[in-house]
Amino acid sequence: MAASESWLVEELERRGVSRREFVGFCGVMASIFAMPRTVGARIAQAIEAADKPTLVWLEFQDCAGNTESFLRAGRPTTADIVLDTLSIDYHETIMAAAGHRAEEALEGVVSQKPGGYIAVVEGSIPTGANGAYCTIGGRSAEQIAKEVCGGAAATIAIGTCAAFGGLPAAAPNPTGALSVADAVPGLKNLINLPACPANAENLAAVIVYFLTFNRWPPVDRYRRPLFAYGKAIHDNCERRAHYDAGQFVENWGDEAHRRGYCLYKMGCKGPVTFQNCPRVGWNEGTNWPVGCGHPCLGCAEPDFWDKMTPFYSHIAGVPGFGVHATADKIGIWAAAGVAAAYAIGGLVQYGRRMVHAKAEEEKGGQS
Amino acid sequence: MNTAASIDSAAASAVQPQVIRVYVWDLPVRLTHWLLTGSIVVLAITGFYIGHPFITAPDPAGQEFVMGTVLAIHFFAAIVFSLSELARIVWMFVGNKYARWNQMIPVSKARWRSAWEWLKFYVLFRPVTPRFVGHNPLAGMTYMLVYAVCLLSALTGYAIFSVSAGIGSPMQVFSVLVPLFGGLQTARWIHHLCMWLLVLFVIHHVSCALLVARAAKNAAIDSMFSGYRFVRPEDLEAEEAEE
Repeated sequence: MAASESWLVEELERRGVSRREFVGFCGVMASIFAMPRTVGARIAQAIEAADKPTLVWLEFQDCAGNTESFLRAGRPTTADIVLDTLSIDYHETIMAAAGHRAEEALEGVVSQKPGGYIAVVEGSIPTGANGAYCTIGGRSAEQIAKEVCGGAAATIAIGTCAAFGGLPAAAPNPTGALSVADAVPGLKNLINLPACPANAENLAAVIVYFLTFNRWPPVDRYRRPLFAYGKAIHDNCERRAHYDAGQFVENWGDEAHRRGYCLYKMGCKGPVTFQNCPRVGWNEGTNWPVGCGHPCLGCAEPDFWDKMTPFYSHIAGVPGFGVHATADKIGIWAAAGVAAAYAIGGLVQYGRRMVHAKAEEEKGGQS
Repeated sequence: MNTAASIDSAAASAVQPQVIRVYVWDLPVRLTHWLLTGSIVVLAITGFYIGHPFITAPDPAGQEFVMGTVLAIHFFAAIVFSLSELARIVWMFVGNKYARWNQMIPVSKARWRSAWEWLKFYVLFRPVTPRFVGHNPLAGMTYMLVYAVCLLSALTGYAIFSVSAGIGSPMQVFSVLVPLFGGLQTARWIHHLCMWLLVLFVIHHVSCALLVARAAKNAAIDSMFSGYRFVRPEDLEAEEAEE
């Protein structure tokens, strides 16, 4: 293997990243996949030997949040460089070309490298009004996605919008927004990286995995990689000990909040959300939402905007009973109502039974 | 089908000359009834704590295990609850005629007619109950709904549990139910509503049992301990004629 000729090694040298750091990164990747550290060497070899992968990044109905996560500021890490040094032939937000020239770049990749590029999709795909809600260069998002993802070696749906429809697909879904899996049915080699936004570490990890093993890592029923979405946030949470002990934040800024107690009563959706945020963290592992005192919103789960709301309540209210009606308030009133109905009914029935008994007695006396 | 009604006329005549003593609730029915009662009480109390932890433990966290203990009690009670529920459903097909499934789901016209009479008894505060021996048909239909709620509550509970079950735990199979319930958060909500439905049912059930026991003078409450109930001979004859 001609390691010295590798695109990656050159790129790393140019940016002043030592080989030691690179090998360290490969070891970290192996540990993210829960593989033995020795696999790091295989990852390093595979990445060095791989052809510089071509990547096209499609943005549809989105806020560019995943792009922000991907381009996040701060100290450049090897992960950034692996991502940066991908041949990103098309990415509206960061590419120099614009207009027809940009579209030509995309067409060039699709026509010249069929089955030879990775498509990353950010944002949901609107299907309402014949796709008029999102068009690029006169073509609808659905048309573009079908063409580009259909010809890709693999597709990554990044962010909750692309993976599950996300915010644009929230009820009443005015644009008929769909996830990539629903808009382009039968897509092979699709992997979902939900979260709002998705963690760039996980994006780097799945790309590294793909370069190493030439396939996606094992996925769950929502096609999320198990290494990143295999465990409930609650089960890896650094505040879990406070949950088990029974120590909870009751109000924002109270003593319990300042002591870092469990955010369960503030509506934390950690127990029903799957991601590796507690282990990997954000912004180079600096922190993550629960770590800095905010409950998990469940952003990596399907339909989170509809199902995880209200974000600051443990469970949702009951529809048709008003905004402030919780299941418990209704339950207590219903219980009181049933008890009262039986108490009153019992008294009425008792009275009528007495009258009946008296009438029977009189009838018996007469006969 | 065997007629499990054993008539003890001597004992009956000692209490009241017009009634006979009939063995309606066989042992598995009574046993599962009280196991379900006990587990529902424990599950509702612990479940309410899990939803709204109202006790806050003192520091340090490592010395306390309040939520952990409550969860463990909830899980063990859930096992008792589910197995009792399953045993009772099995008994609907092998038990005596008062335990059978057709006591819950009315298939005969006579039971539908009787259910209508019972509805009038409750709604119009009638002083005398319609004739019956085992479950009255209206109560039987209610129990069918209650079994459905119990089953839903158990399945949502196992679905919620499954995702945090240990590696290799057989409980993981219940995770296939999660999308069926519309995701975990919705499963939690259904689980919570089921608790309230069961609480409402317990209030209704105890009130009705007291009401009917007084109106029918048939030892309805005692029968769930002893298995025996006092029945007018003509009611038993009418029931046998229906079959």
